[in-house]
Amino acid sequence: MARPAAGRAMAMALAAAAAAALLLALAPPPGQAQQEDRTFLTHSGAVVRTSGEVLDPMYAVSTVEFDPDAYLREFHYGTVSELPDGTVLREFTIVAEDGLVMEVAPGVFYNVWTFNGTVPGPTIRATEGDLVRIHFVNNGSKEHTLHFHGIHEARFDGVFEPVGPGGGRFTYEWRAEPVGVHPYHCHVMPLEEHIAHGLYGVYIVDPKEGRPPADEMVMVLNGLDTDFDGENNFYAANTVPFHYQHHPVRIQQGELVRVYVVNMVEFDPVNNFHLHGNLYHYYPTGTDTVPSAYTDMVTLSQTERGIMEFSYDYPGRYLFHAHKVEFSEKGWSGVFLVGESGPEYG
Amino acid sequence: MADPGAGRRQRGRARAAAAGLVPFAFVVAMAAYVAGPGSEAIGLGVPLPDVSIERIDFVDGEIRAVVRNTGPVPVSVAVADVNDRIQPAAVEPDGRLERFESALVRIPFPWNEAEPYTVGITTDDGTRFERRVDAAAPSLEPDAGTAGLLATLGVYVGVIPVMVGLLWLPFMRGMRSRRLVFFLSLTAGLLLFLGADAAEEALSLASGVTGEENGLDAGFGGAMLVVVSASLSFLALHWAGGMLARRAGGSGNGRASPMAAALMISAGIGLHNLGEGLAIGAAVGLGEAALGAFLVLGFALHNTTEGIAIAAPLAGSGGPRRTPVLALAALGLLAGAPAILGAWMGGFLYSPLSAAVFLSIGVGAIFQVAWVVLRWVRDMERGPGGPGAGFPGAAAAAGLAAGMSIMYATSIIV
Repeated sequence: MARPAAGRAMAMALAAAAAAALLLALAPPPGQAQQEDRTFLTHSGAVVRTSGEVLDPMYAVSTVEFDPDAYLREFHYGTVSELPDGTVLREFTIVAEDGLVMEVAPGVFYNVWTFNGTVPGPTIRATEGDLVRIHFVNNGSKEHTLHFHGIHEARFDGVFEPVGPGGGRFTYEWRAEPVGVHPYHCHVMPLEEHIAHGLYGVYIVDPKEGRPPADEMVMVLNGLDTDFDGENNFYAANTVPFHYQHHPVRIQQGELVRVYVVNMVEFDPVNNFHLHGNLYHYYPTGTDTVPSAYTDMVTLSQTERGIMEFSYDYPGRYLFHAHKVEFSEKGWSGVFLVGESGPEYG
Repeated sequence: MADPGAGRRQRGRARAAAAGLVPFAFVVAMAAYVAGPGSEAIGLGVPLPDVSIERIDFVDGEIRAVVRNTGPVPVSVAVADVNDRIQPAAVEPDGRLERFESALVRIPFPWNEAEPYTVGITTDDGTRFERRVDAAAPSLEPDAGTAGLLATLGVYVGVIPVMVGLLWLPFMRGMRSRRLVFFLSLTAGLLLFLGADAAEEALSLASGVTGEENGLDAGFGGAMLVVVSASLSFLALHWAGGMLARRAGGSGNGRASPMAAALMISAGIGLHNLGEGLAIGAAVGLGEAALGAFLVLGFALHNTTEGIAIAAPLAGSGGPRRTPVLALAALGLLAGAPAILGAWMGGFLYSPLSAAVFLSIGVGAIFQVAWVVLRWVRDMERGPGGPGAGFPGAAAAAGLAAGMSIMYATSIIV
């Protein structure tokens, strides 16, 4: 009896050892790190150390291919010439593409459809009454168009005149009206897909007499549905989630700030814009010179837009974000860094 | 020693080896052509990434998730979120995951006890994967106190009930053959039930049916993981048992001796109790204390019957006159103590993969032991003094039926 029992015991010991080895191989990695060499911040400012990689699109300073800082204050006035009757002609070239894969948030890559290589496309700016002529080239693999909000002839509406892929061309032309801030976007079906992938931009029509001087900027409120489930994974002002959180928008104490805000979020019915430590005068669609509200909160539906004007009395860091907190916690939040007025600032 | 045939034999062997290798070489060549580096022979379809969150721990001010790449392509973990809200986090050792590689995602988060949380992981292609925990509970600290508590639970569930069950040995000893056939069949019935029970558990775990908390990703083959693990365990025990029986000189018919049979039943039941320990440890680890307490009571009652299974072969006429108490205790420990080990594993390093594999090994072991016992019953029925030639006879059928019914009745208490 003794020998077989011993043999069996040995067989079982072997089996147990094999099982233990298997378990070790399959076990999750240990939480303790050998080498603690990176840190990151929590919301409350606590410092956390890690031996691994930091996943922090919020507070860790990072950049991706698209630069929201450059976009923020970049206005395109076009190639300017004068017609015999004295009208100013502004000519623009906009090229559509749909094959780019771009890093839209740190480490996240997404197939963006672009006007002139960026999301949003270039901010087109003209003065009321100018003749705007846009040479549109479709270098994508699908049909695209340009559909501008505003007043124009039916044939330039960019809906029933699809422009073919692989170099198709179309020239749009109209008088710049009405005064205000308007979106433009592709209007090919399925429309939601073409917009959600990034085919949109901002078109500003200035009044002839101009607006009071201000620090002007454009914020397109948009979202990215990176896994195509009909819900946005990321939200932002100007595409890159949390960008203005770690790259605060620098403005100056006492100086008038004018923000052209356009809501291009798809899938979610509304978006909104809340400013901290201040209120703004709000001009819906920018079409009127009298503000409709003095508030710190406006709600915007799809392509709803307006102009916000404010100036800060006190220096410091002020948050601005969607008060639909889901959006702000998925990227649509940023910081105004108000510098003290004085010669040393700048 | 000059052996003229030796060279020829060697050549013949080499030729046979080569013949065996040739088809294999072709397969390797084809695989290299189709899927090797630089090959563009197969570019069909888009491989979709898949990441599964295997385990979520709530520690002091932090949520920890073990994530594994269970898809066909390497992925990088890019973003972590809690309840679909992006959080600053870290991934250790790094976010790049090859196939089946795992990493630990640490998310500093002031979680509240007993509230549900969904942890999400977004990969580099923008796809988000998530897992929900119904009630957050602090993870077990791997210290002596917790280890002691889990060990105590293991003793309640495994060791004590089995030992109590073994006390039926004197009652069964010296029984007439027909009665013993009944009790051995009862044992087989118990074992068949336990095997089916463990198989169901392993299958639901492996095919992700348990889903929310503990499921295993389909990338591991689902039911086939269970089938293969159980078959390997069955074959290994079958081979080992047969070899031992032959070596012991046994009865010559490959049947195990009573002591060997008792030992094998103990080992099989031990593997089963490991699974029960895992269930209890995991329930405690996941903060489901109420479920844990229920499991302890139910398994304890249930496992008393396992003692009968071990005692039955020893009670037979072929068995030893007297079984040393120490040997009995050792058998009981072999069957019961793995519950302690299981509780530790379930509580401290639960992973659905290891749980599914261990449960499957238990399935194979239990069915193998049931097989051994049933063969024994058949031999007794046909042998001298046996109830008759037919198998199963009335006693065996009644025993099987009673065994399964008892197990069912005690199991639904859990």
